Amino acid sequence: MSTAMPAQISLADVDVSFGSKTVLSGLNFEVFKGEVISIVGASGCGKTTSLRLLAGLLAPSGGSVSFEGKPVRGPRRETAIVFQDYGKALLPWRTAEGNVSLALEVMGVPGPERRSRISELLALTGLAGHHDKYPAQMSGGMQQRLQIARALAQDPAVLLMDEPFGALDAMTRQSLQDELLDLSARTGVTIYFVTHDLEEAIYLSDRIIGLLPNPGRIGRIFDVPLPRPRDQLITKEDRSFLALRHELYDFVKGSEH
Amino acid sequence: MIRFTQIASFALSLLVALALIGLWHFVASARLVPPIFLPLPEKTFDALVTGMQNGVLLDASLATLRRMFFGWFLACLAGISLGALVGSSQKLRIYVAPMLETLRPLPASSLIPLFIAVIGLSEGMILGVIAFGALWPLLLATTHGIVSVEPLLIEVAQALAMPKHKVLWKISLPSAMPDILAAMRLSLTVSLILAVVCEMLTGSEGLGQWLLATSRAFASTKMFAGIVVLGLMGYASSLIMNLVEARALKWKSAAN
Amino acid sequence: MSARKPDFRPFAVPLGLVLLWEALMLAFPTASETLAPPHAVILGFFGIVTDGTLALQTAQTLSSALGGLAIGFTLGSLLGAAFGLWRWFDRAMQISVESVRLIPSVALIPLSMMVFGFGTRMEITIVAFTTQWPAMVLARAAVREVEPRLMEVATVLQMSLLQSATKIVLPSILPRLFVSLRLTAGVAMIVAITVEVAANPYGLGAAILAAQISFRPEVMLATLIWTGVVGAGINQVLLTTQNRLFRHSLPGGGGSE
Repeated sequence: MSTAMPAQISLADVDVSFGSKTVLSGLNFEVFKGEVISIVGASGCGKTTSLRLLAGLLAPSGGSVSFEGKPVRGPRRETAIVFQDYGKALLPWRTAEGNVSLALEVMGVPGPERRSRISELLALTGLAGHHDKYPAQMSGGMQQRLQIARALAQDPAVLLMDEPFGALDAMTRQSLQDELLDLSARTGVTIYFVTHDLEEAIYLSDRIIGLLPNPGRIGRIFDVPLPRPRDQLITKEDRSFLALRHELYDFVKGSEH
Repeated sequence: MIRFTQIASFALSLLVALALIGLWHFVASARLVPPIFLPLPEKTFDALVTGMQNGVLLDASLATLRRMFFGWFLACLAGISLGALVGSSQKLRIYVAPMLETLRPLPASSLIPLFIAVIGLSEGMILGVIAFGALWPLLLATTHGIVSVEPLLIEVAQALAMPKHKVLWKISLPSAMPDILAAMRLSLTVSLILAVVCEMLTGSEGLGQWLLATSRAFASTKMFAGIVVLGLMGYASSLIMNLVEARALKWKSAAN
Repeated sequence: MSARKPDFRPFAVPLGLVLLWEALMLAFPTASETLAPPHAVILGFFGIVTDGTLALQTAQTLSSALGGLAIGFTLGSLLGAAFGLWRWFDRAMQISVESVRLIPSVALIPLSMMVFGFGTRMEITIVAFTTQWPAMVLARAAVREVEPRLMEVATVLQMSLLQSATKIVLPSILPRLFVSLRLTAGVAMIVAITVEVAANPYGLGAAILAAQISFRPEVMLATLIWTGVVGAGINQVLLTTQNRLFRHSLPGGGGSE
């Protein structure tokens, strides 16, 4: 990742407080186009809050958040969110097709064009042939794929993902991780990934932001020196993977006291 | 297998119903109850067929059906739109929700004299009473349904930068649909009851007036025929609502 | 806004409406034959309170409503419990019960009038007939939702039918049975008033109609408002009792309905 290019998202001295409680303090970092960046840290250190800031769902109490040089004033088409709780984030009364369609409808994509876009997106996320299924008829992994398809329907420049695979079983999680990396390689979409799973953070990311709690602030930013494409076995046996895992573990453990 | 047990239990319950009509026949023909209070089932059926053929009972039934339907339709329009309004605005709710909750237990029938006083004895008065009475369940259910939308869905809509009216149309109302449909069913029952009461009070043509007139003349077979028609109307509207719910809430049963 | 400060906003709209009503009556005095302004309604209320008619009418309505409720609730709950315990019985009776249950209650007023004439007994009959159905539906649902493990306990302990009914079923459905009582009490009041308005020259419902016919709008409105107060009062008493007795056994359920 070249630091010479301009940042896609930048946070300058950002504070967030709710009433008298400071949740995030003095946040300074930049996100570059096409990178995968993860946020880790002990629970309650403001990981999700940082994501909501980037999404424009939350305004900073101090400092500024900007996207491609312009201040963020609210949600934009260019940033799409994938929520952790897929069971609640999908419209239960709409089929897979209908859920993807929701984003296209809001963007004003005309009907005939919508159909082909939906097929494309469902195929891209491995849901071809499940057009007519309701979320309740799908497994957790499929529901989360559907949420990703809906997010991609926005044709976003940045995917904001809030512990998206946290509630899935280990096998499903691994295949979704690989599909996500494949997606980022093919589309060049930037990924901002909140997780508490340190191995997941290393496996996916170019950089990892380590947050410290009370108030939430940046402790360290880790570079991930692992080559791409990554592999569930080879990458995770790499010496630098193990070393980084050790470092991150000590960082998070140390911050809890 | 499931299909078979369904058919079997339907057949059994039909048999029981026929047996109960048999019991009715036995009780009536043995005169265990005076025949003016309980006419024979076959005589009731004859009165029903005759009334439908000569058109008197048919016209009365259609008049009641028309009032019930139009009053209910008006109630649906007004109740759902008012409910959507109150449900979408927290500010409005602070001002009017307690008042609406307080007015709810007031029986709609007690307002009939007030409606007569203000509007006079007219068809419009009857429709007004039905619409007003049947509006409450819809208003409160729509409000409740919209207020209790899953907050994450609202966040999804915000993240999509969805305008407010689209959130209502695409998220809140569909999510409130189970509540709204349940209220539509209840309102249909209320509408039928109010239609009959208004007919009894005003003497307008309809089943309410038919029941009152036949009972005064001690024409109990005709009166029973009227009760049977009203029962059928109640049953039919419940079946129709079942179908509507099964279609509109297909996604709810899809999970199983 | 602090929680201790009383919130007067809910009173703004009703108060405004009352004032508007008074003003309109002042502006259009010709309407006074059919309607009365708020101050006249208050005077009318004192009139019927002091001459004892309101107390008598209230007693008449309440005795019919509560008498009918006692019969209808008991019958309906027993029937519902039987349906809940024995599925085959429920299935066998389905068509018969549904076809009688869906007869609008008011259809039976003329029949009841033929049998009993005017007065308490005919009204009690209609109230009992009507209230038994919601009581049946709610009791059936309550029994069906008794924790299956508890029923297994009954089987394991080889309890007799009477024992399992009194030691397992009844205690576990009691809270929901009380909710059912509160809801059917509301139905009982509505039916009693409806019978009185439609046919029975007796109680509050008939008083409202009689006042309208004899051009005493202030009495009509005072009685109407009082009817609402009585209904709300009964509901409030039962709701308070329910919350006292079953606060812990009704988690969120049935509280606000």
